[in-house]
Amino acid sequence: METNLIKPPVELRYADELAALKSSDTGKRPENWQLSPKAVRTFILGGKAGGRDISRKFYGNDALVERCIITLAGNRGLMLVGEPGTAKTMLSELLSAAICGKSTNTVQGTAGTTEDMIKYSWNYALLLSKGPCREALVPSPLLIGMEQGIFARFEEITRTPAEIQDSLISVMSDQILNIPELGDDGLVFAKPGFNIIGTANTRDKGVNEMSGALKRRFNFETVAPVRDVRLEREIILREAADLARAGHIDCAPDKDVAELLAVTYHELREGVTAEGTMVEQPAAVMSTAEAVSVYFQTLCHAWYYGSGKMELPVLTENLLGAVCKENRDDLGRLKSYFQTAVKAKGMKEGGIWNEYYQTAKYLR
Amino acid sequence: MERILPDGEVFAISGSEPVLFFPVRHHSPVCSYQLVRTITAYAPDCILIEGPENANELIPVLTDEGTQLPAAIYYFYKDKKHYIDEEEERDYACYYPFLESSPEMTALREARKRGITAKFIDLPYSEILIHTKTAAGLRSEQERHSYADDSRLAGGLYYQKLCEKTGLRSFEEFWEKYFEIRGLRLSPEGFLRQMMTYCRLTRDSTPPAQNELDGTDSREQHMAYRIREHMETYGKILVVTGGYHTPALQTLMKEKLKKPKLHKFPSEEENCYPIAYSYEAADALRGYASGMPHPGFYDSITKRLREADSPEGIYQEAALHLLTECARECSKKDLPLSIADVTAAQTLTQGLAALRDTPEPGFAEIADGVTGALIKGEKTASSSLPLDVLYKLATGSGIGNIGDTTHVPPLILDFEKQCRKFKCRIDISLPQETKIPLFSAASRTGSGLEKSRFFHRMRYLETAFCKCIKGSDLHGNTDRSMVYETWKYSRSPQTDAALVDHTTDGTTLMEACQTAAARQLRTQRRTEAAASAAVDCFLMGITLTGKDIPRTDEIIAGDGDFFSLGMGLQKFDMLRELRALYGFGDAANDVHLALCYHKLLSLLPSMANVQPEQAGDCIKIMRLLYGVTGRTFPERQEDFKEALISLTLAPDKEPSVHGAALGLLYALDTAYLTKAEGAMQGYLQGSGEMKKRGAYYLKGLFETARDIALSDRRFIELTDLLLAELDRDDFMEILPSLRLAFGFFTPQETQVIAERAAALHGQNGRLLDEQALDEALIAFGAQLDAEIFREMRQLS
Repeated sequence: METNLIKPPVELRYADELAALKSSDTGKRPENWQLSPKAVRTFILGGKAGGRDISRKFYGNDALVERCIITLAGNRGLMLVGEPGTAKTMLSELLSAAICGKSTNTVQGTAGTTEDMIKYSWNYALLLSKGPCREALVPSPLLIGMEQGIFARFEEITRTPAEIQDSLISVMSDQILNIPELGDDGLVFAKPGFNIIGTANTRDKGVNEMSGALKRRFNFETVAPVRDVRLEREIILREAADLARAGHIDCAPDKDVAELLAVTYHELREGVTAEGTMVEQPAAVMSTAEAVSVYFQTLCHAWYYGSGKMELPVLTENLLGAVCKENRDDLGRLKSYFQTAVKAKGMKEGGIWNEYYQTAKYLR
Repeated sequence: MERILPDGEVFAISGSEPVLFFPVRHHSPVCSYQLVRTITAYAPDCILIEGPENANELIPVLTDEGTQLPAAIYYFYKDKKHYIDEEEERDYACYYPFLESSPEMTALREARKRGITAKFIDLPYSEILIHTKTAAGLRSEQERHSYADDSRLAGGLYYQKLCEKTGLRSFEEFWEKYFEIRGLRLSPEGFLRQMMTYCRLTRDSTPPAQNELDGTDSREQHMAYRIREHMETYGKILVVTGGYHTPALQTLMKEKLKKPKLHKFPSEEENCYPIAYSYEAADALRGYASGMPHPGFYDSITKRLREADSPEGIYQEAALHLLTECARECSKKDLPLSIADVTAAQTLTQGLAALRDTPEPGFAEIADGVTGALIKGEKTASSSLPLDVLYKLATGSGIGNIGDTTHVPPLILDFEKQCRKFKCRIDISLPQETKIPLFSAASRTGSGLEKSRFFHRMRYLETAFCKCIKGSDLHGNTDRSMVYETWKYSRSPQTDAALVDHTTDGTTLMEACQTAAARQLRTQRRTEAAASAAVDCFLMGITLTGKDIPRTDEIIAGDGDFFSLGMGLQKFDMLRELRALYGFGDAANDVHLALCYHKLLSLLPSMANVQPEQAGDCIKIMRLLYGVTGRTFPERQEDFKEALISLTLAPDKEPSVHGAALGLLYALDTAYLTKAEGAMQGYLQGSGEMKKRGAYYLKGLFETARDIALSDRRFIELTDLLLAELDRDDFMEILPSLRLAFGFFTPQETQVIAERAAALHGQNGRLLDEQALDEALIAFGAQLDAEIFREMRQLS
């Protein structure tokens, strides 16, 4: 596969690690799994495989990852829920890549998703010329998953209308998909290893409630935002470095700026500063993914327009763009954060915090 | 491990060593399980157990067949001789809880079964406190303490690194995986070796100074001495102590030990009793950090271990049982969960155990199974019901019982007797609710009032047993028409502890309440407090006999506070009124009522100059005096009248009190109308300040005799005349107070007064129905008129 990609799939990005794990894996594997549950755990949470270091890819709740792996080995689907930007999709990709070797078998849920996109559709030219036959069938990721015994990922499932979501019920209950147009050949039975990983946001606008019947067919895992500032800083640095590498941006990341951003996001999300001062929380989602985006934008600016050094005024402007999106009051909240928390930190610690406070004038 | 344990450390249990140390974690099923195996293999002739030795007499009570666990020993010490605090005399108390899973209880039971000696060897509770140098350990600032505190073992510095290294979330998860579950599969020797390693590492990571400060060193010296003492009599001694102490005891056994010097205290100052305990209190997550969390779950493990031939599959069975119970409880709470859900949770639980290399799922895996499979949707406070239910079930809701009642305080026995009589459930810790019809006829379960009195007695003794959530409030003199009382109650270790604390007060609840109420009364100096005590006694259905009656008299006689006496009068008057309804009364209350009344009459004239902020309360008492005079002391009407007249004659009277006094005089004798009118005239025709006081005068007058304005037209005419004479500024100044004064009338009465006042000016009362004009608008109208007139004048 072509490696010069903006965002290579997980199985490609970590191909070496997956190969090392596979070669050293002696654990029991559920049928059609590429790795044993223990090796999958190591792939996601880090460890050793045959003398090789395996990097940690998901931070926060190790027990949650373990529950996800075991759920997928059973007969229930896995539904990852939580606020936007909490790495649900990443976890879903990691699990698919480690277990099935393929993280791209995905349905993207939107308000316009139809039942055809979930089950199957037709190549109408072939349908007209040959009639309903297997050749004319366009399989959906769900159908592919059932036939190949791999996972089908359903991203943003709750953006899909409830009645469309419910088309999954029969597949998940009976592990069969009926294609009546194909007559006797139309029954597709799921092979061992098939399962569904769904992701759903709980805070975004435009989400639909899932039916109770569908909920019963999933085990739910709530992915919470990272609560540790140091960890958040590490995630920002690591993710931004990966993005920079993919974009051929040879600019050194600034650890102090990452710290500044991690603290800002953490305090605005929690509504309280490390010193115990209450701050108003913005209505916007203050996720780690958003922080990574702000950091990377600032890095890009330094690379293309600047001296290669990350500049705080640019950081603040990018922060403004990320926070003040939907709610007009968020600008006031961000200004207030600078006037209280950032100012106090500047007076207490000086240095970069003082410089950061000076950039408050760009908040307008 | 060999490097950690000292050279020559012996773990051959079947050997003939004179002493074998068995370190335990309190309430640990695996420790209990391996302890039984160790006792069988070692066959000791004496078992010495960590526990304050002043409870040795209670060992037969704890191991009695009729005793149901959880139970506890309740220790108390009253520092009357100031050994602990030179300045303050304080009372100390702590629990030593025993569950089915407690290794100490297992040791006691095994000793009884085998007919061998079992003894506690720790310092008596008082000595532990005396040897604790700071506010640490059993002297730390907590409401209640647990003797069996494992915080050192579970919360040492060492454990954090351990959790990090093993990738586990908490010490409890670590302990469950490596000790509780894996430990069941070890030989007693192997388990002992593992425990000793852990305990020595924990001990080594604790600063030695800490052991001196919280009395640990003194306790260990004492325990070591006792062990050596017993070695003279017994050939094979098994020593069962908390794991933290074991390494130190082993070292001490090699040293020269001094005979301990112990203080002697009378039983009123130091004692201990067996009491029923609850799972809720035993839970380290909710109770007093007394051992392991989820005691209900681990007790079920111990019971299964006792009945099974092999430990294999015990946790698996318990997990399935707990998950099924959890689903059943959720269904009762309108969260239906199917068998498929339980199966999914069970699959997840087992899968997690396999992934984590745990032979069987423990509580950590069960909780994860419930989190993943039974919580539908985002995990929030409202959607976490299955997890809440699971934790509740794992805690357990049972309460124990003491079989051999020889050492049970009679007060607890009386409490249990009363509970049986009134059919109150005390075998579970879940709060119960009962609605009592106060005035129902007596039945087999007693009358409503008897049951109410039982609850009031328990409340008065501060047992945390019950709380009245609905019913009349005689202390606040509100809701007196309610004929039902609703109480919430639940028995807890605090209940038993509080009853033990009152042991010296009497053998029945009634006696204890009498003694406690008398004691409280002795500390009172104010009539108000003495009257409150009388209300408490009335609610509890008790009378204070003997020397305490004169005491209340003395309080009243010595109390010169008009307001305190007034509150006393109100309460004693209420008790007199309720006597017939409740069929109960203390004749002494009538004496107190009369005393308060006479004292108030004598003080009344001096209230003429009361502070304005106290005038309202003063008028209330004056009205009460008027009522009591009519109802109870009609023969004293003239005295009351005289007191009021004296008040009205005093100089610089508080105007509202003055008005109230004249109002009451008018109520007693209508001839006082003239006086009331005259006084009003004096106020309203006086200087500016006097006019303002006039409004307050009217307020007081209307508060005690508002019919004066309704029955006597002349009074309205005079008031109108006086108000009409006021200029605008004076009127505006006193207007707020006038509004307040007329606020005592009902809307209908206000209408009548308005109509009469309007008639005096040739208007009808409808004026009040019209919307009030805006002042600015009137000013604008007047200005407009003036302009028009000016224009017209110019135009001739």
